[in-house]
Amino acid sequence: MRRVVITGLGVVSSIGIGKEEFWQNLTAGKSGISPVSSFDTSEHFTHLGGEVKEFLFDKYYPGIKQNSFSRASMLGLTATRLALNDADITNSTLQEIEAGICMGTTLGSVQVVEIIDELLLKNKNHNIDNLICLVPTHSTPSDIGKINDLNGSFMMFSTACAAGNYAIGYGFDLIRLQRIDIAIVGGVDPFSKVAFTGFNQFKAVAPERCQPFDKNRKGMMVAEGAGVLILEELEHALQRGANIYAEIVGYGLSCDAKHMTSPSVEGIVQCMKKALKEAGISPLDVDYISAHGTGTPANDRAECAAIKEVFGERYMGIPVSSIKSMLGHTMGAASAIEAIACSLAIKHSIIPPTINFETPDPECDIDCVPNRARKHEINYALNNSYAFGGNNASLVLKRFIE
Amino acid sequence: MSEINNILITGIGVISPIGEGKDEYWGALRTGRSGFREITLFDTSDFNVKIGGEITDFDPLKYIHKRHLRVLDRSTRLLIAAARLSLEDAGLTITDENTYSIGVSAGATFGSLHSISQFDREGLIEGPKYVNPSFFPNTVINSPASQVSIMFKIKGFNTTISTGFCASLDALIYAADFIRLGRADVVLVGGVEELCEETFMGFYRLGLLSGSKGSPPGCKPYDKNRDGLILSEAASVLVLESEEHARKRDAQPYARILSYSNAFCPQKPGMFTSGDGLKKAIIQAIERASIDYEDIGFISSCANGGIELDKMEAETIAEIFGNKIPASSIKSMIGETYSASGAMALSAATGAIHLGFIPATVNTEEPEYPINIIKEGIENVEIHNVLVVSSDPYGNNSAVIIGNI
Repeated sequence: MRRVVITGLGVVSSIGIGKEEFWQNLTAGKSGISPVSSFDTSEHFTHLGGEVKEFLFDKYYPGIKQNSFSRASMLGLTATRLALNDADITNSTLQEIEAGICMGTTLGSVQVVEIIDELLLKNKNHNIDNLICLVPTHSTPSDIGKINDLNGSFMMFSTACAAGNYAIGYGFDLIRLQRIDIAIVGGVDPFSKVAFTGFNQFKAVAPERCQPFDKNRKGMMVAEGAGVLILEELEHALQRGANIYAEIVGYGLSCDAKHMTSPSVEGIVQCMKKALKEAGISPLDVDYISAHGTGTPANDRAECAAIKEVFGERYMGIPVSSIKSMLGHTMGAASAIEAIACSLAIKHSIIPPTINFETPDPECDIDCVPNRARKHEINYALNNSYAFGGNNASLVLKRFIE
Repeated sequence: MSEINNILITGIGVISPIGEGKDEYWGALRTGRSGFREITLFDTSDFNVKIGGEITDFDPLKYIHKRHLRVLDRSTRLLIAAARLSLEDAGLTITDENTYSIGVSAGATFGSLHSISQFDREGLIEGPKYVNPSFFPNTVINSPASQVSIMFKIKGFNTTISTGFCASLDALIYAADFIRLGRADVVLVGGVEELCEETFMGFYRLGLLSGSKGSPPGCKPYDKNRDGLILSEAASVLVLESEEHARKRDAQPYARILSYSNAFCPQKPGMFTSGDGLKKAIIQAIERASIDYEDIGFISSCANGGIELDKMEAETIAEIFGNKIPASSIKSMIGETYSASGAMALSAATGAIHLGFIPATVNTEEPEYPINIIKEGIENVEIHNVLVVSSDPYGNNSAVIIGNI
C-alpha cells in the first residue's frame, strides 16, 4: 500500500499562529489562557478561555472579503494557507493533481447560529440571509476548497472533540486507496458560547488554569483554533523534494457505546489497541503519547487507566503529555493541533510539557512530562482523542525513514 | 484488501413521511404517494409556506424504551428507529464477540439545529446559569449517531459526516472504505434530518422553498414551472456488510455496492456549482464499476425542484448519457431530506433492484430538459444497476452505483 507522509503544518491557536511561534511557546510551556472577550461571561461560573486574540486574516488572504466567511472558515483558511506555504505547495500544483480535503469539527459554524439567535430575539424580522449561508457545517471545507482550487474528495467529520483525528485518518486512507495524492486535513472550531455555557453547566471548566493529571485538577479550558496538515503520498513528496515531518502509519477508532459524556476505559483501550495493530507495532514501540488530557477528573482518570491497561508494566516509562494545559481544549481542532505537535516533537526530538502540574495523583501516575519540555527521541508517537458520544480516535505517527 | 464489489446491502430501515419500514416505503414509492402536509411540529404563521414532509404518525415508543426517551431529540429518535428497523431487517444480532467489527456511519449536517438553537436561546433568555445541562449533549452534531451506538451497543466505530446534501452518500462511501480496509465487517450506514423551525426558516428566507413566492407549493423536479423544494424529514439506515460475513451468517442480501466516487467542484464564488464535479463523480463511478453507461437501469437523481440544482443536474446527465438512461427523483414524493436524502435514495434504489420497479417523478408535467425523466412509475422491470447521485451547492458531489446480486 502507498505510504503517506506529513509535509506541511499550519496552526492557529491561543499560543501562536504558525508552526514557529506555536512550537516555541509549546516547548517554553507558555499558557494561552486569558479572559474571554468573544461574549459577556459575567453570568457564567468561569471567565477564562483559550481565544485566538490577534487574528490577522488579511495577512494571509489579502483582498478577500472577510464577511463572506464564518469565523470557523477564517480559522480554517488561515491554517490551510500556513500549511500549504509550509509544504511549499501552490494552487497550481493542487490543480494539476488529485487533491482532497478532510476536515473535522464539533459544532462547525455554531458562532453563526449564536449570532442569528441573538439578532432574532431582538427582532424576529431581522435580515439574516447572508448569515444563513454560513450555517452549514461543511461551509468551512467548502471555503477552503474553493479558494485553493481543490478537485478531489471532500469530507467533513462532526465527531466532536475527536474530529481532527478522524479527518487526518481518512485523508490517510484516501491517499492509500489511490483516490488522491495530496490531502488537506485537520480540524477547526471557533470559540463557542454554546460550548462554553454547556461545559460550565457541567461544572467541567477550570476557573483559573487547566491542570491535566494533577490531583487537584478542576477541569478543562474551552478554547478555539485550527490545525491543518498536508498529507502527501510518499513518492510525490520525494519527487518534489518536500520536507517530511513524519509518516502516518495507522489509526484506530472505537465507540464507547455507553454514555454521551462519561468516558469508558474499555472504549479507550480498544481504540489505542486498534491503532497500534493497524500500525503494526507493539506497545513497546511507542515513545510518546499525546494525551487527550482535558484536565477533567473523569477524562484523565479514564485515560490513565486505559494507558495502564494497554502498556502494562511499561506505562510509567512512556512520556504522556497534554498540550491542552497550555492552549486549552480547541474541540474539533484539538487532535489536529496535537498531531502537529507530535510531528514537531518527532522532528525536533523534544516533548512538549504538561504545564500547571503540582500535585501527583495516584490515579494518574503516568509520566506527564511535568512543566518542562524534555529532550527525547521519538520513533513512534500515539495521538489520543476522545469525544462526546464516546467517539474515540487514536493516530500513530512515525519518524520518517526512507 | 477486499474489493468494492464484495460489499452487500443486507438490511433496510426507513422512517419517512410516506411510510415506516421498508415495505411501506417501497409500496408508497411504487404507487407514487406524496408525503406533504400542513406542518404541525412548529408554528408556521410567520411563513408563506405551511407545507412540509412531516412524519405525523411516528411513535418513538415503538422503538425506544420510555426511560431513554426524555432527553433524546427528534433527530436522534428518528435515527434510532431507522437503525432498529434495519437491524431487524438484516437479522443481525450484536454481541460482545462481534461488536468491535461493527460500526456506524451517518450523515447529519445540522445535527439537531433545533437542539443547538434552543440550548443557546435558553442561555440568552434565562441566563447561562439556568440552562439545563442535560440537553447539552444534544448540541453536538454526532449525537444522533452516537445514541445509535449506545442504544445497540455498537463499539467498532462511530462516525458522523456533515457534507450537506451529499452527507449520507458520503457516509456510505466512508463505510464501504472501512469494510475494504478490513476495519469492519458490518456498518450501519444512514442519514437523518428533522423538520424544525430553524432549518425551515433558513430555507424559507433564502427563497428555496416551493410556494415562498405565493404559488401553491409543489415539488416538481425538472419541470418548467418548478419553484423550489419542499422541506422534509426522514431517517434511513442501511446495513452494509462484507460478502464473507453475510455468507457466514446466511444473510439475504438485496443489492451489492459496485462503486462510488466523490468530487469537489472548485467553482467560485457563490452557492451553486457548475456540473464539473458531478460529471467527474459520475464518470469515475462508472469506470470503477467496470460497466457500460447502458448498463445503468436508472439514475436516482437528486433534483428537488430547485431552480439551479435541477438545471445543473439535468445538463450534466444530458451531457453524459443523452436521453438514453431513465432518471427519476423520489424527492417529488418525499421532499428534500437534506443529509438523509442520499440514504433515502439508496433505500429506494435497493427496493427498485429487489422488486423490479422504477419510481416515478410525480408532479413533473413539462420537463425542461432533454433527459429521460420517468413521469409514471414502471413495474415488472429488471434493474441491474442504479446510479444514485447527490450534489451540494457548496461544491461537493457524490455518486454511488449499486447492482443486483
